[in-house]
Amino acid sequence: MPQDIKTSVLRNTDLGNANFLLEFEATPSMTEMTPAQFFMLGIPGSDMLLRRPFSVCGIPGTFEDAPANAVQVLYKVVGTGTGLLASLGSGAVINVLGPLGNGFEAPSEAGTRPVFVAGGIGSAPFPALASWLPEKAARPLMYYGARTSNDLPLADWFASHTERLIVTTEDGSAGHEGLVTEPLGELLESNPAESLHLYVCGPEPMLKAVARLALKHGVTCDLSLEAHMACGFGVCLGCVVPTRRPGTDEIRYDRVCVEGPVMRAGVLAW
Amino acid sequence: MVKPDLSVELGPLRLDNPVLTASGTFGYGLEFRPFLDLGRLGGLVTKGLSPRPRQGNPPPRIVETPAGMLNSIGLQNVGVDAFIADKLPELRQHRLAVVANVFGETEAEYVEVCSKLDQSDGVTAIELNVSCPNVEKGGMIFGNDPAALSRVTRACRDATSLPLIVKLSPNVTDIRDTARGAADGGADILSLINTFVGMAVDVERRRPVLARASGGLSGPAIRPLAVWLTWQVHQAVDLPLIGMGGIITARDALEFILAGASAVQVGTANFIHPDAATRVLDGLEDYLVRHEIASIRELVGTLASGVTV
Repeated sequence: MPQDIKTSVLRNTDLGNANFLLEFEATPSMTEMTPAQFFMLGIPGSDMLLRRPFSVCGIPGTFEDAPANAVQVLYKVVGTGTGLLASLGSGAVINVLGPLGNGFEAPSEAGTRPVFVAGGIGSAPFPALASWLPEKAARPLMYYGARTSNDLPLADWFASHTERLIVTTEDGSAGHEGLVTEPLGELLESNPAESLHLYVCGPEPMLKAVARLALKHGVTCDLSLEAHMACGFGVCLGCVVPTRRPGTDEIRYDRVCVEGPVMRAGVLAW
Repeated sequence: MVKPDLSVELGPLRLDNPVLTASGTFGYGLEFRPFLDLGRLGGLVTKGLSPRPRQGNPPPRIVETPAGMLNSIGLQNVGVDAFIADKLPELRQHRLAVVANVFGETEAEYVEVCSKLDQSDGVTAIELNVSCPNVEKGGMIFGNDPAALSRVTRACRDATSLPLIVKLSPNVTDIRDTARGAADGGADILSLINTFVGMAVDVERRRPVLARASGGLSGPAIRPLAVWLTWQVHQAVDLPLIGMGGIITARDALEFILAGASAVQVGTANFIHPDAATRVLDGLEDYLVRHEIASIRELVGTLASGVTV
């Protein structure tokens, strides 16, 4: 059940190149959430009228040095709202509504390999997911793409918390030069479809490319979507995406905040 | 002092208090149950209901603007039949006034929806949406022309005995003309205002931010405009008014009440604070206590000003 609380910023860490990790104090029931669920964050008395949605990045147990009942969100400064958020220091008061939406599901078979596919700041839900997956689950592989080497926040964390981290950058400044779909395509070519479960978050062109790849190979692929939204709980209808009913051509608009933010690749009618 | 009386009477419509939630910002009400006690609301106004389900407009549909937001939802809704079958039975359990917001592309569609709601148990009043800026047909076509508005109001008046509210558009030259048109058509109550048509531009991509280019502007940015229009209509038409436009706090609501509104609707604020409406209600009660006023009705239209319009 989501809650609406006023709480304090514990830390707001500058990770470089406008990427920040914000940590706030949550109630115990708020931390009972699944990765890719999100919070709506507001700053009382600021020029930001509407709250902004942020995927949960860390739940208790994700980051070893974090206090109990702390929740982390990872964000990049892209506009007015995230700019104001970046200016907050420890002790600043924020409004937090959540957790909201439907998060990722664990792979249905213990032997299925979780494969994280992240684009830049789209890596946000994966620390929480890595720490939340059942202990008996296979350790995840991570494919992490970005434009350039300084757009890979928390790369060190992923290197030590995944089975293997494969980095790609468009300018070749870190890892393989190119797009994340290239090494990912090789993985899908060389493994049985049922042995993999893709978890994807990133910019829309990347989501579409990965979804196409996954559908072509018949691999289970869950996408965590992002959209502008005013409320986060299903009433503004601002955040919709076109979806297709299984087995039909009927298109309708589903809400990223309620039916999502996680949607299966085949459902989206892009 | 005894607890102040917050109940209001708007013609045939009696409400326990003057705070309603505005159409399009409160879903069908049920979505808000985790955040507030629906029974405390003076009433809720549903998302616009059309004869058949509507998909709405392609995204992007919303964008924040200074002290406000633009929306171009396009009346995505479940349709009146699904509302009556699936939503209304649950809403009835909360014992609150349910105002059904009605939309049609033609006069016949308005009448069809009104007739169905009239025969349903649990609908307290009907609000005609003749002012939606985000659809091609219907909506503002009726709301911008006093004669057309009078006709569609009359047709709906004949189709229902429920209290009939007409929601006015601000996108007109003189709102008093459309207010009189609605009154002539038999409206019991006027609610005002719907959103202002506006546009935001993505200068990097050199295109409108919203897929349909324009949208309806709401939020505190429009409040002074809405208060002014409320005051104008209050002096021009002898019907009870429901004021709205950027109400976030009780202080904001009081602006409308003093300018002539018997009740208010809280809209965009519901997105920001899901319990915004009950916060406004608490603030109104505090105000009455602080000023030793026995009833909220004593405040309506009591703006002290030597100016008339």
